[in-house]
Amino acid sequence: MTTEKKKIRLKDISNRTDEPLITVTADDLMPFPPPLDQRGKKAPYSPLSEDQKKSYECSLDGVSALALPKPKSKQEEEKLVECFLGGLRKLLSQNDNWLFWQPLIQSLESCVRCQTCSDACPVYVSSGNQEIYRPTYKSEILRRIINKYIKKRGKILSKLTGGDIELNWPTVARLAELAYRCSLCRRCAQRCPLGSDNGLIGRELRKLFSQEMGIAPKELHDSGTVQQLRVGASTGISSAAFQGMVEFMEDEIEEKWGKRIKIPVDKEGADILIIHNSGEFMSWIENPVAFAIIFEAAGLSWTLSSEIYGYEATNYGTWYDDVQFARIALKQVEVARKLKVKKMVMGECGHAHKGLIVIADRILMDEMNFPRESFLPLLEDLILHDRLKLDPRKNNFPATLHDPCNFVRLMGIVEPQRRILKKICPQFREMEPHGVDNYCCGGGSGFAIMNSMNFKEWRENISSRMKLKQILETFSDVLDPGMRKYVCAPCSNCKGAIRDILASNDLWERHSIYYGGLVELVANAMVDLKKPFIEWEWH
Amino acid sequence: MGAMILFIFYGSILFFILATALRVRKCIRAPIHLHWELYKGSSIYELTEWWAKTHGTFVEKLWSMVLDLLFLREFYHRNRRFWYPLYVFHTGLYLLILWHAWLFIRAGVGGIETVSIFGWVWGTFSTLLTFLGGLSIVIMRMTDEELKAYYPPIHYLKWIFLLLTLVGGIIAVDIHFHSSMPALLKYVREQVTFQNFEHKLHPALAPALHVLFASVWLVYLPFSHVFQLFFRYYHYLRWDDVPNARGGEIGRRIKDYLERPATWSAPHIQSGKRWREVASELQQTPATGPK
Repeated sequence: MTTEKKKIRLKDISNRTDEPLITVTADDLMPFPPPLDQRGKKAPYSPLSEDQKKSYECSLDGVSALALPKPKSKQEEEKLVECFLGGLRKLLSQNDNWLFWQPLIQSLESCVRCQTCSDACPVYVSSGNQEIYRPTYKSEILRRIINKYIKKRGKILSKLTGGDIELNWPTVARLAELAYRCSLCRRCAQRCPLGSDNGLIGRELRKLFSQEMGIAPKELHDSGTVQQLRVGASTGISSAAFQGMVEFMEDEIEEKWGKRIKIPVDKEGADILIIHNSGEFMSWIENPVAFAIIFEAAGLSWTLSSEIYGYEATNYGTWYDDVQFARIALKQVEVARKLKVKKMVMGECGHAHKGLIVIADRILMDEMNFPRESFLPLLEDLILHDRLKLDPRKNNFPATLHDPCNFVRLMGIVEPQRRILKKICPQFREMEPHGVDNYCCGGGSGFAIMNSMNFKEWRENISSRMKLKQILETFSDVLDPGMRKYVCAPCSNCKGAIRDILASNDLWERHSIYYGGLVELVANAMVDLKKPFIEWEWH
Repeated sequence: MGAMILFIFYGSILFFILATALRVRKCIRAPIHLHWELYKGSSIYELTEWWAKTHGTFVEKLWSMVLDLLFLREFYHRNRRFWYPLYVFHTGLYLLILWHAWLFIRAGVGGIETVSIFGWVWGTFSTLLTFLGGLSIVIMRMTDEELKAYYPPIHYLKWIFLLLTLVGGIIAVDIHFHSSMPALLKYVREQVTFQNFEHKLHPALAPALHVLFASVWLVYLPFSHVFQLFFRYYHYLRWDDVPNARGGEIGRRIKDYLERPATWSAPHIQSGKRWREVASELQQTPATGPK
């Protein structure tokens, strides 16, 4: 028997209680199609331990993404609330926040509360329409706080514009967590008839917390951007370790596929500097290996860089902090400039594409305004102009494409990857919806690498739920474990999120659903490799 | 009273022009922001060396916007249930605006006694359409729990006032002027040609109230969503993927902002230094944990 849940209102964000506003239960969740429909129901995430509850803020939904310590005194609470308000003023100031002021104000002012965006949000729908995950929930709260505490319109006008939110510490703490329940996929913004971007509002909230209050997930800040600026990569790989990995790649290529390739590193004046997400070297080395095989086979003039900042495409600042974002983007471009290459090409990493190619365009001045482009048009040129000898029969298994949000909706790179797949995968099938209407993998905006307390469970069972449903529906007619299937995810973070949902639901073991990048499929179709490139070994 | 109505009416027109100009100026002078567009389909980034490629023409973009505004295409595709009343309302409103424009022109040129009954049909039909659409939207807003919870009270006041304006228009035209287009045009002619000042200072209640309501709308219009739609949504969200070419206008404007101080206070930001310095100089300070 299910009990009717209390309806959450906007003003509940200010509730002075440690109890979570909601706890998502197994009954709330969006149901799965076969074969997962028959599996027993389980709660989407475990409750935090009593010790954790005592130490960290979790009064939003019982989940902690930030490991935000509870203030020790009333005074500390008040100071933090003041700090938040100060940050909010800066967010709304043209001088302090010139980098995003215009789209932020547009998003705050233009919403007509038609809720068209709600059903576009995979987190809201997957969670069984939890009010707090509605794209407009945090935005409307912020709007009302601004009307009441920043614009100070007087009692009557404040009441008329919805001045029912009390700005206290629980409100601030819940907003901090809420900013990390949206993966910034911006599907809601795409859906909005007036262009109000609730994704951007979420990002700007994250920025306020980071740039003013020093609050950000450790995975994004301490072991993310700070580590990248210190050692060169968010994975902690040093330049020496990277060079060792390149040697390992060369040996692997020779041992497995019978080709001895000298992978160019720090080759001055090359046409192309390719930069990969360094997570590829740690978890999916076959991806940079495939790039190397393809580029060499096509006879390109290319290089990798072993310079600090030159072997890491990620820029987690994209998701939460303009300053860290700008610092990393400048460092990355500086490497290419010094190497005197003709252009930088981003490998299979979605946010690195959007970050360095698009967003950074307006902070790169003069000689730093360096040519940067995606690997996709380059790869498409190689394949469609027959620069590679390919046999699509080598990829004769059902394959589908997960569209990373950063490529499609956020950048307008929609067709090259499809033209490639249609040429090399005879059984290619689209997920529905796809292209600019795609669903996020659930790992966007840093979620894929955030594993604080019970956040990983939340991600796998709520944030990534829609993607898993899509995958199952796409392969519904070929679930037989005797038939291998491939989910092509040409982005490192998406790949990580998809790996986790396939693994936690045993979909490789039980139904042979595998995942990987795009270049692996291209390499797998190459006729002059002795063995198939894809090894179908789970990792 | 009459003098006040006069002052409000002409004042509202002046306010509308001034406020619109200020809004446009504010939008144009807003700081240039980082690229943050959304794409409905393929973009120049699908091409190698995209920075050298041409973008869609202004006419293409403008045409797309006109179609969106006329047919509310985004609502049609994304939220059909909401589109029905919204479309009725907007169609009525567009027709009503056109009708008023016609009314002012027709009052100024040609004989008003020979005016066709079509003018009355047009005005009445537009008013009813706008009223029907508006009323449906209010009912939907008040009865749908999902919509109601997020709609601040001030917006209901706006709708009520709009409906009253429409009712006021019907009363003025059909009761005060007895649905007579020549009588209405004569009144409008007096307004636009500054004739019969005595008549203006002692207006009849029904047209005076309608003029008063309309004046309030003129004051509101520069702050409405329609204005934001063009200057922000289209110009800055959908059409902003113009690359920052070396030595170009975008770079010049950004450089100015890079010289301004970064004011954020978290430990990893060197508050007070210029943006250019903050972005290019490193400080090894982790920042997590409230400061």
